[in-house]
Amino acid sequence: MTHKIDLGGIESAPRWILTFLGAYLAVDLLVLYLWNAAGQAFPMQASGDSSPSLSVTAMACVDLWLCLVVLRSFRAGAPLRPAWMLITLAAGARAASGIFAPLLGANWLLNPLVWSGHADPGLLDAIRYAALFTGGPVALVLLAAAMLAGLRILRKYGFWARPHAADWALCAVVCLFVVCRFVEAGAASLAGRQIAAEDWIALAGLPVLCVLILEAALLRQSVARMGNGLISQCWAAFMYGIFLTGFGELALWVVPHYTRTWPMATVESLLRCATAAVFALAPACQVAAQRRATKPAGSQPADLATGVPALAR
Amino acid sequence: MHPRNATLVAFCDAEAGQGRSRRISTHLEKCEECRRRLRRIRSEKDQLSAGATEAAMDSRQGLTAVLSAIGAWRNSRNSAGASQLTRRLRREIETYFGSPAVVALERPGMRSEELLGQASAMFDVFLGEEAAEAVRDQLLSGLAEARPLEETCR
Repeated sequence: MTHKIDLGGIESAPRWILTFLGAYLAVDLLVLYLWNAAGQAFPMQASGDSSPSLSVTAMACVDLWLCLVVLRSFRAGAPLRPAWMLITLAAGARAASGIFAPLLGANWLLNPLVWSGHADPGLLDAIRYAALFTGGPVALVLLAAAMLAGLRILRKYGFWARPHAADWALCAVVCLFVVCRFVEAGAASLAGRQIAAEDWIALAGLPVLCVLILEAALLRQSVARMGNGLISQCWAAFMYGIFLTGFGELALWVVPHYTRTWPMATVESLLRCATAAVFALAPACQVAAQRRATKPAGSQPADLATGVPALAR
Repeated sequence: MHPRNATLVAFCDAEAGQGRSRRISTHLEKCEECRRRLRRIRSEKDQLSAGATEAAMDSRQGLTAVLSAIGAWRNSRNSAGASQLTRRLRREIETYFGSPAVVALERPGMRSEELLGQASAMFDVFLGEEAAEAVRDQLLSGLAEARPLEETCR
């Protein structure tokens, strides 16, 4: 028996995103495997300047577009509109960061500032830092506010449970990681080592990450109370996206402490792309749910009138 | 001034009251037209009474049977419709939220209308108004078609 998978229309966005993510992960892992099998003979290419890669930016743009579609479906005054507004702003911040950091913040041929002769290194750096700050701490703050608004609605409709011990443990691990990062940065600063602005920007977003992890733990409980429906999948995607963000930060900090042989830039790109794809899955699932509801009656339930006796008809 | 038909009907049924009956009687003595109207009312009333008695005498058992059959059919239709609506609601809640949401939402002995109200509110909030309206249409589509049929049976 064969199943025909429908990939047409915006309602197929979750499938497209998962297909893209699967292909991307497969190619990246294959390259890593080949690189390792070849005895790490050739260098792995990566941007290495903290700018989001093209795949991450593309995924952030898809995320933004899907968020706008969802936002339009919630009229003014709808309870979830503020949450989706903030989610859209967060997606917009990530997309803007992905576009402006490498486009306007780097000294390269396609930068309009370079063409026009205004490519002052200070200005380029300022643009780049502003873009990184927007895509980092600002996006995280917006997402945290959005999740808070979403959780309030979920609580109002009975999809609420207290976090379990495992959730608190996870939050504690992330908080410990954040403290370690700040202590490390503080120690380095006191020792007279210079800390890059990108690192300070990354540090600024970490306290918000603690809040986000706690919200994700609450979301996990809410989603468990809901089940595995289309709307639940949307909120589950946010939860996984937040967990993946936290895991990514943790992994990118822990791994270099133990090994110097891993191509961290490639691993970072892979993690960021996976995170962006999972975040894009959330509005995609919401759109899929809405399109399923408004789909023309093709699979309507059986007509009740068939049960009416012939005499009564 | 001539009395109205309704007043004459009440006079005919001895329900007009003493004072009014006296005034109508006085008027009828003088007014040929009102006497003619009263005769017509009396004759129609007699015809109706005769017809109703005859029908009741002729078909009492059959009518009772028909009425009880209609009642039973309507009850079964209502309960079938309610259970069908509940089934549909469960399926839609499962599709959009999940099975635990059905358990959380549905209380024992809950009527289908109550479940519909709660589920509608949730669809409005989580899906948006337009999509929720479409879900409601799908939920009630078969049920809405059944109602006129029920009414034609009355």
